[in-house]
Amino acid sequence: MKKIASVMTALVVAGGLAACSGSDGGGSSESGTVTIGSIHPTSGALAGVGGLMDDGAKLAVDDINAAGGIKALDGAKLKLSSGDSQGKAEVGQSEAQRLIADGAVALVGTYQSDVTQNVAAVAERGRVPFVIDVAVDDKILQQGYKYAFRVQPDATSMGTSGAQSLAKIGQDSGTPITSVAYLHIEGAFGDSVFKAFEAEAAAQGITSVKEITYPATNFSDATTQVREAAAAKPDVIVATGYYPDGVLIAKAVSELKPDIQGLYGIANGAFDDGSFPAASGESGQNVLSANYHYDANDERVADIRTRFEAKYGKPMETASILSYQAVEVVAAGLEKSGSDDPEKLREAIAGISIDDPLLAFDGPITFDERGQNENATVIVMQVQGDNVEQVFPQEFSTKDLVFPATAAR
Amino acid sequence: MTDTTARPAAAHELPAADDPRLKDTWARRQLLVLVAGVAVLSTLPLFLGEQAQSVAIRTLIFAIMAVGWNLMSGFGGMFSFGHAAFFGIGAYTGAYLLVDHGISPWISMVVAAVLSAAVGVAIAYLCLRYKLAGSYFALATFAFAQMFLLIVQNVDALHKTEGFNVEILPSDSWSMLQFQQGDPLYFWIPLAILAAAVLVSILYVRSRAGQYAQAVRDDEVAASSLGINTMRARLIAVALSCGVTAVAGVYYTQYYFFVGPEQAFGSAVSVEAIVPAVIGGIGTIWGPVIGAMVVGPLSELVATVLRNPPGFLSFLQGTSGLDVAVYATLLIVIVIVMPKGIFGTIRDRWRS
Repeated sequence: MKKIASVMTALVVAGGLAACSGSDGGGSSESGTVTIGSIHPTSGALAGVGGLMDDGAKLAVDDINAAGGIKALDGAKLKLSSGDSQGKAEVGQSEAQRLIADGAVALVGTYQSDVTQNVAAVAERGRVPFVIDVAVDDKILQQGYKYAFRVQPDATSMGTSGAQSLAKIGQDSGTPITSVAYLHIEGAFGDSVFKAFEAEAAAQGITSVKEITYPATNFSDATTQVREAAAAKPDVIVATGYYPDGVLIAKAVSELKPDIQGLYGIANGAFDDGSFPAASGESGQNVLSANYHYDANDERVADIRTRFEAKYGKPMETASILSYQAVEVVAAGLEKSGSDDPEKLREAIAGISIDDPLLAFDGPITFDERGQNENATVIVMQVQGDNVEQVFPQEFSTKDLVFPATAAR
Repeated sequence: MTDTTARPAAAHELPAADDPRLKDTWARRQLLVLVAGVAVLSTLPLFLGEQAQSVAIRTLIFAIMAVGWNLMSGFGGMFSFGHAAFFGIGAYTGAYLLVDHGISPWISMVVAAVLSAAVGVAIAYLCLRYKLAGSYFALATFAFAQMFLLIVQNVDALHKTEGFNVEILPSDSWSMLQFQQGDPLYFWIPLAILAAAVLVSILYVRSRAGQYAQAVRDDEVAASSLGINTMRARLIAVALSCGVTAVAGVYYTQYYFFVGPEQAFGSAVSVEAIVPAVIGGIGTIWGPVIGAMVVGPLSELVATVLRNPPGFLSFLQGTSGLDVAVYATLLIVIVIVMPKGIFGTIRDRWRS
């Protein structure tokens, strides 16, 4: 027993030291391949979506390689190096450092705002472009970083265009919306989307906005908050939050049956998720959601999603499409700069224009001086039957909008 | 008993005052080990790649926290499950003073240590005043840490859930403790802090205050009947412990450039302070350091092995989350085989 214990100890200590000295920087990429680093939470509580995003990035790399690689670099092949942030900011940081040291010329990631902040700082200091696929917080790009770019809309633009779309839907259906009750999760995400909505609402004729917040943790019943919202007698209840709380709100609304014209999510993690119709059942019917979303009418998107599902056995959600898109942004930057030098690649990405985005955006992907995609915007979706359909604006719609959107009762 | 004459005569006589066997060389030996250890470790950046260095730095931060935790919970016997509170106070003091007031992190280290010690003493005083002991004390410290988390998330001056971003400077600055990414100074500075923390432990354990605290830990009634002011002895241990932990927090903000409520006050942080000490050996000088050297690089080691696994493990390639399984297994094995931790058990074997 003694011996076993001491051998174990020796092994453990030696192992610890080995890890310290192991995995030296592998130097720059071998000739003919260009390495892109991908950082997502592939283990831990967010492993589900993190894994999908990593797979999305992998599929993009495979597709680009199958189509002949980077032509401006004599057909150089892309290689995806995956990092696991475990959902923790400091782990994301060391993974970013590892990927850069291993010769990654660009990074994509990371799903969470706090992890993204750390990775953006590493990318800035390491002078490697970082294309953010998903991370909503405005603040990430307010640090004056030159190497960070974001494909998805930020919190402010989602709140603003959410208000515009809502007002437009009301006008088009002949039932103008003048008052809303706004339920949102506490914290940076909910606060910033709400503030942007509130600022735009008045300009859109929505004169009364009642704010109700709920806690991010230990939120197990939305009845109290929804009752409070209903007491304000709003035309529409608006909700911003993540998946589990979104489902709770939809259920509470359907139970309390307030006299409203609809439940409308803005940047809501639940209402346009592929699994929401099944998870919410009857209560989810006709729920509206203003969010960034893949373009369901686009043939290229349909093709990618079909192949993704065949290969990985799961439906490809919007977050995963964004990872795919982020890799395409990097690839387009490589084509444009004709160089795998990260500095030149940054220049190229800053001036890029991608005309056929996979997402339902207002126009091509182009970045402003902060690195924010200027044409990133939201579209409105609606749960109809077992599906999430795109209903507004007209150019992206897959089904007709049902409004007033009271649930089938 | 009668044939005492057969025994060597020396055993009967009281040893002379200057007998070398009576000289206590413990502290001197510990200091020698410390100097040698620092000398060896300080060469590490010469061998490490950038990412390995970042793992080593994370390990050093763990080690500082664990050494701090051990002062109070190991030598003082007050099991803290809320050291995130003190780490967080350090991280947020550093961030707040630097980002909002442009104050050098070196000054913040002192301010944070004092502030954190004061808060720690206040919390511990309340707990001890109302005779919370054992698991109740641990729960109370946990509750305080959670309370700090909630407060920070709701205070505007601390940016609520947004956290703080440290501005990236165009050039190296000693006063602002900022260097090129991958600069070995990022390793040497926490190494020096760790050495200082271990030095504090060694001196404290030898000091009267430290001896009192250990006496109180082992038997409070007996210690008190000998005239030891038990409250005071314990609060000194708490103050030292919280101060050391806060310095780790200040350095965290400085190295990672971003700190939010979860990174500073999350309950995972409390666990990160405890685990190295438990694995290495509670109530020993070197246990927390050795424990951190095992736990810190563990997930990286597993991930590295899995990225390019040797032949017989190739079926594991691409599996994520296995580090957690290895970690759990290791924890179980150590608790069963080495209940006093790696260092504690080996030391006891050595002595016997």
